[in-house]
Amino acid sequence: MTERIGVYICECGPNIKDAIDLDEVVKFAKDLEDVVLARPFGLLCSQEGKTFIEKEIQEHNLSRVVIAACSPKEHEHTFRKVLEKSGLNPFALQIANIREQCAWVTNDKVLATEKAKALISAAIRRVVLQEPLTERQIECQSDVLVVGAGIAGISAALTLAQKERKVYLVEKLPSIGGKVARYEDLFPSLECASCVLDPIQDEVLHNEQIDVLALSEIEEVLGYYGNFIVKVRKRARFVDVCSCIGCGACFEVCPVKVRNEYNEGLDERKAVYIPYPGSLPNLAVIDKEHCLRFNGKACSACQEACPFGSINYGEEDTIEELKVGAIIIATGFDLFDPGKVPKYGYGTIENVYTSLEFERLISSTGPTEGKLLLKNSKPPEKIALVHCVGSRSMESNEHCSGVCCTYLSKFAHQAKEKLPDVEITQFFSDLCLPGKEAQVFFNKVSSNNEIEFIRLKSPDSLDIIEQGGKALVRYTDVYEEPKTAQYDMVVLAPAMVGATDAARVAAVYDIAQGKAGFFSEEDTTLYPVASSMEGIFVAGCAQGPKDIGASVAQGQAAAGKILSRLVPGEKLALEAAVCEIDEGLCSGCKTCIGLCSYNAMTFDDKEKCVSINEVLCRGCGTCVAACPSGVIKAKHFTDRQMFSEIEGLLRYSS
Amino acid sequence: MNDFEPKIVGFLCNWCSYEGADAAGRARKVYPANFRAVKVMCTGRVDPQFVIKAFREGADGVMILGCHPGDCHYKEGNFQALKRYAVLRKVLVQFGIDEERFRLDWISAGDKEKFVDVVTKMTDSVRQLGPLRG
Repeated sequence: MTERIGVYICECGPNIKDAIDLDEVVKFAKDLEDVVLARPFGLLCSQEGKTFIEKEIQEHNLSRVVIAACSPKEHEHTFRKVLEKSGLNPFALQIANIREQCAWVTNDKVLATEKAKALISAAIRRVVLQEPLTERQIECQSDVLVVGAGIAGISAALTLAQKERKVYLVEKLPSIGGKVARYEDLFPSLECASCVLDPIQDEVLHNEQIDVLALSEIEEVLGYYGNFIVKVRKRARFVDVCSCIGCGACFEVCPVKVRNEYNEGLDERKAVYIPYPGSLPNLAVIDKEHCLRFNGKACSACQEACPFGSINYGEEDTIEELKVGAIIIATGFDLFDPGKVPKYGYGTIENVYTSLEFERLISSTGPTEGKLLLKNSKPPEKIALVHCVGSRSMESNEHCSGVCCTYLSKFAHQAKEKLPDVEITQFFSDLCLPGKEAQVFFNKVSSNNEIEFIRLKSPDSLDIIEQGGKALVRYTDVYEEPKTAQYDMVVLAPAMVGATDAARVAAVYDIAQGKAGFFSEEDTTLYPVASSMEGIFVAGCAQGPKDIGASVAQGQAAAGKILSRLVPGEKLALEAAVCEIDEGLCSGCKTCIGLCSYNAMTFDDKEKCVSINEVLCRGCGTCVAACPSGVIKAKHFTDRQMFSEIEGLLRYSS
Repeated sequence: MNDFEPKIVGFLCNWCSYEGADAAGRARKVYPANFRAVKVMCTGRVDPQFVIKAFREGADGVMILGCHPGDCHYKEGNFQALKRYAVLRKVLVQFGIDEERFRLDWISAGDKEKFVDVVTKMTDSVRQLGPLRG
């Protein structure tokens, strides 16, 4: 069947008309194979122009259209709609870019005319072979996966649940609440942390829309915005969640003692335990790594002690598959390990603590039940608070965490409340007290208490050595004078960095990780909670250091983005020009599988061939170029179409 | 030989390089009319046969222009293009096609100056080499 091609050449006001000899181009195009007519027009993208093309398609019974005009990036969409309106498939259109890539970049009219002919000839040769395609739409999932049940993840989950979205809130640890659950008071209001956290934790646990999966991690993520398929490993708790009431009978009898990570290793817990008093969900968990029974011993003390028969040593990990439309990653941060910089004496000198350890020391649920004590159980007399440990330095982390100056003020206040006579010195080089609250809080704490401030020459112009069982701080102040001072307790404020397993998380979701291990946002200014992957959002300290308020805001922002775009019942448009494989001709060499960035290719072991998931395929065509058998077709970019375009570009007689 | 004007075919990815070429147009940056673009969705789609086809049909030079490493719209298509380019360059030499006639470069959507620069340089160097079929 011969095609009937109409060629329309836009004058684009003077833009194209003045640069290219259109009469000559029209004459040239008219004589090409399959071309029924070629016409110039003033402004094809105008309403007049669109109506003109519509009329022409019908009058001349055209089967294909070539438009020589501006870039397809400008008006391909416009003209595809015109074709559709006239009863043609939108993919029966090809655009020759004779404005941006010809008229506007060529001074010589003769050369520009020649180039325009080549571009039009290529478009004509290509359009003949173009095949009709239909834009597909698929149902999208409106359920959402939130990873990390800290304050950001909880805020996101609650926001989504308010709009009746089903939320899977996945938490790696046995209990929810994240870092905030370890704090006693929160700056700037000095509100107690559990007063803030407990009600929302309770809401999350009792909200029917939210499915909390503790002790769980995501192992695999397939798909894209609207249709993710996620594999979750739910680690065995070895405790029946329905009958356990968290009474504690089991851990009283457990003979194993291990480092209590919840208290930063400052005390010990048992191998069967509840992370901390009041942790939610209030359920015991067996630490398989340390439990005697899982290490070949015949202990069953906890099982015997449990009044409810809740201990089940036979429980196994389960894998659950979830279908969700979008994902929010709120996996939090960790502190820079000050042990990496030996001069701070962390790990070698007694009573040198990180800020998170101090949070536990001062906490009523901590190892000393909130009594501020040294290792020898005496109260400290002199405390040094050291700013910027492992931050604002080119050797470790360049960034400023932006919260440490404020929480060190909080520490000073808390220490003074507990021990009014304690002497406090802050070693800093600059103070960062951003926003409307931090400076006010700092001023209040500093004016109500006697606190010594020593300004250092640079953030790291200080080291700590041991002297007579105490910590000797040797520093160079801003006047460049080397000095020393002795303290019996030192609290370091290490940089906030991406969580220790952030690289693994980034690999699972295939999202970009930036400086200091934080996940990169798509755009710092405009899209602060979008990750590098469509449909996957980042919120809270997983994205960068921030305070609790800002983490909550990001969790809610990510939820808002999802609520506005992923609407239940509305369909999601799919790319029409994807790849398809002739499974019958596929040799099963699997070359393509490793090249696909979207895991769209799967090998059928029975049929010994590869099949393409058209929902996952984005149509890049990388597999097509690699297939040794040539049996994969890139729709709208087939080999035949491409060859024909190349021929048209180079082989024509003007 | 003096008035020889080479034909240069460029395979440009939809997301970065084709946008970069359009940006050069919007900024009215003039470059040799010898260059003609073929749009692909991703440089990963550029089958070595496309390049060979272009030379067979009369191109004196062929370019592959893609997103900068790390910026590929499809994550890694440009790396595949780079790998194929390295091999194909060596193969083309075996057919008597000078390495300078085939070039790959990275052009972002904003790289209008770089686009004009690489296209101009390519045209100049192929003009120096003379026609492929002399």
